[in-house]
Amino acid sequence: MKRREVIKNVALMLGGAFSAPTLKAMDNWENATKPNRNGIAFSLTETQQRIVAEIAELIIPKTNTPGAKDVGVPAFIEMMLKDCYKTPEHQSFIEGLDSMEKVKFLELNTDEKRGVLKLLEQETKKITSKTTPFWRLIKELTLLGYFTSEEGLKASFDYVQIPGKLELIKLKPNQKAYAY
Amino acid sequence: MNLNIKANKNNTFDAIVVGSGMSGGFAAKELTERGLKVLMIERGHEIKHIEDYDTAMKEPWDFEHRGKTTNLSAEERWANSRFWGLGSEEVVNHLTNDKENPYIEKRAFDWIRAYHTGGKSMHWGRQSYRWGKHDFEANAKEGIGIDWPIRYEDLEPWYTHVEKFVGISGQKEGLEVLPDGHFLPAMPLFAPEAHFKNKMMERFNRPVTVGRVANLTQPQDIHTSLGRASCQYRSKCQRGCPYGAYYSSLSGSIPAAMRTNRLSVLHDSIVAEIIYDEQKKRASGVRIINQNTMLTEEYFAKIIFLNAGSINTAALMLNSKSNRFQNGFGNESDQIGRNLMDHQLGSGATASIEGFEDDYVYGQRPNAMYIPRFRNWGNDKQTAYLRGFGYQGGASREGWESGINADGFGANFKQSLTKPGPWSIRIGGFGEILPNPNNRIYLDSEKKDKWGIPMIVTDAAFVENDWAMRKDIIASAVEMLETAGFKNVTPYDRPTHMGLGIHDMGTARMGRDPKTSVLNSFNQVHDCKNVFVTDGAAMTSASCVNPSITYMALTARAADFAVKALKKKDL
Ligand SMILES: Cc1cc2nc3c(=O)[nH]c(=O)nc-3n(C[C@H](O)[C@H](O)[C@H](O)COP(=O)(O)OP(=O)(O)OC[C@H]3O[C@@H](n4cnc5c(N)ncnc54)[C@H](O)[C@@H]3O)c2cc1C
Ligand code: SF4
Repeated sequence: MKRREVIKNVALMLGGAFSAPTLKAMDNWENATKPNRNGIAFSLTETQQRIVAEIAELIIPKTNTPGAKDVGVPAFIEMMLKDCYKTPEHQSFIEGLDSMEKVKFLELNTDEKRGVLKLLEQETKKITSKTTPFWRLIKELTLLGYFTSEEGLKASFDYVQIPGKLELIKLKPNQKAYAY
Repeated sequence: MNLNIKANKNNTFDAIVVGSGMSGGFAAKELTERGLKVLMIERGHEIKHIEDYDTAMKEPWDFEHRGKTTNLSAEERWANSRFWGLGSEEVVNHLTNDKENPYIEKRAFDWIRAYHTGGKSMHWGRQSYRWGKHDFEANAKEGIGIDWPIRYEDLEPWYTHVEKFVGISGQKEGLEVLPDGHFLPAMPLFAPEAHFKNKMMERFNRPVTVGRVANLTQPQDIHTSLGRASCQYRSKCQRGCPYGAYYSSLSGSIPAAMRTNRLSVLHDSIVAEIIYDEQKKRASGVRIINQNTMLTEEYFAKIIFLNAGSINTAALMLNSKSNRFQNGFGNESDQIGRNLMDHQLGSGATASIEGFEDDYVYGQRPNAMYIPRFRNWGNDKQTAYLRGFGYQGGASREGWESGINADGFGANFKQSLTKPGPWSIRIGGFGEILPNPNNRIYLDSEKKDKWGIPMIVTDAAFVENDWAMRKDIIASAVEMLETAGFKNVTPYDRPTHMGLGIHDMGTARMGRDPKTSVLNSFNQVHDCKNVFVTDGAAMTSASCVNPSITYMALTARAADFAVKALKKKDL
């Protein structure tokens, strides 16, 4: 698929997927669910898990510091959705994954994938529904999972367990943020 | 610490204190230090200072859900999780399971509870402000509710007494609206806050100060002798402090009472009833139900201090019926449970701040900035509402969270989030709520909890005065942030109920006339002088400043009076 075509397809699907729950998404939702201890059902298929991992790694790629996959963000996202989010967000998340499946996200090359995410980012801004959209969910959980993981936090920030004092200071060039 | 006493004679003490929270802890300290043998009865489980702060030293990644509220917590703590952050796994297990301890919301009330040693003193925000003279006079001047039977001067020495023991960091400002106290060194304002402070003075003649907070910036002997150390600036106080650096009953008053060897503590014991001796015309003790075994026992004392928290204290009094008190203990006035007040919370404004790019902070300040009341004060007269509000808030540099709503992803994005983000600021109002007999709690006539005690019904809501004040809290916040030159000034107004201020009070008010009040000027029940109520229930009006040091000051004053009266055989 050419990049232009991919993007056209994504735009079409996002329009459909986000305006109202599609039948397909609903089927998918019901098939992919099982009850958890909170009485709210949520789980992902293997393909969906791979898409989540891909997107998380595109948001926080491995560089000279670890990436989202290295610190277990994909599994964290699924666990968090299950334990801390409710049905509307679950639906929104599954619908988002569904459109990714439709554009065969996993088969695209990295540039094309980035193009899809850029488009997704723009399209998300148009959504007015109260339910948190797919892109916001996956981004927020990726950042949370990464920046609070031991490796992610220590690689990104100056970790201070016990500051011992409170001091107004001047920032040095390129100084990292403190994390506590 | 737990006693298991069977024989009746061993169940007799000089004083009983109901509740081990902020005010109960202080009552126990003051009474034992004056020589009384005290039994403190706590309905919740025991928490041992330091040892039982199970999350205090956890690292961010040790929390499975990284501090977020799980669906399970939100379901079990359906009321507690309405408050910011209290559903988080960092603290949630130290807050009461609302599902197991339900109450009935005739009108919704956000009742935040912590049934365990120390009560809510373990979790408080530690903001500590004296009331001003005007706070004790306003009811009488404006013809609202009833007059306080005491004035600022009556409480002043007790504020000093409490502040010295508690340890409050703050800046003296010489303001009539916010009297200075006995302070430990103040924490600093951050650079944009200092700029804000100057602008407010320049433009509105409004003072701004750093929060007055019960964290030890420079511990004195009175603190270190109890094992309390200097604040380490982690700002994880709500989990419990391993250094005892912030004040709670756990770190302060209970250890002080314990070292007198005159304090006994009972846990898991719900005080269900005050026992009234019809012959002697005094309360003789209390009846408790063990929350685990369901067994009932009776304990006796010469005096009883009720410190179960304003709502539970009122409920306990209403549930204590006798021939003499058919309408509830000391409730001839029908005021018990009424005049439930709080501070309105949840509205204000936020803004982003340009500049100050090389200003940063090492350490986390467990404190905020404070803007004292300026409405209906001095020359300011509002026509839409009575009384006023103060703001708490502050500036901080954004962290990686700012990436959530910002555009971008990938390597550069990731790198950019490791730097301190731009400054932003938030200020939120704490507004005074007036006493109103229709804002109340009462006991349900049929429904009982699992211990067979009638369930508490909340029936209270904001009225016109509150809504008019709220509008101004928001408008003034916007005006002040804009005047300071900050950008993207955005008002916020979180849908909220009474209770969210966690300053519930007024349900057994002090007053001069037994026909319209429950307690006299020394917090004695008018019609049964050996029972004292010194938690928030005693409050005749609410002020707009955080109330806990006022509860403690009232408690210390009443305890001093009670012991003197006992010695003179007046009680
Ligand atoms: C998150 C948070 C932030 C806060 N911030 C501030 C602040 O910045 N400044 C401020 O001044 N205040 C603040 N507060 C409020 C402060 O905690 C309360 O004002 C204070 O704890 C009230 O003291 P109390 O003794 O009345 O009640 P509590 O401290 O709640 O103690 C009552 C105790 O009585 C026990 N009890 C209840 N019923 C019974 C019964 N029937 N039998 C036996 N025991 C019983 C309870 O289990 C509890 O231990 C905050 C509170 C919270 C939760
Ligand atoms: S900020 Fe200070 S008081 Fe709070 S937990 Fe840390 S050391 Fe203790």
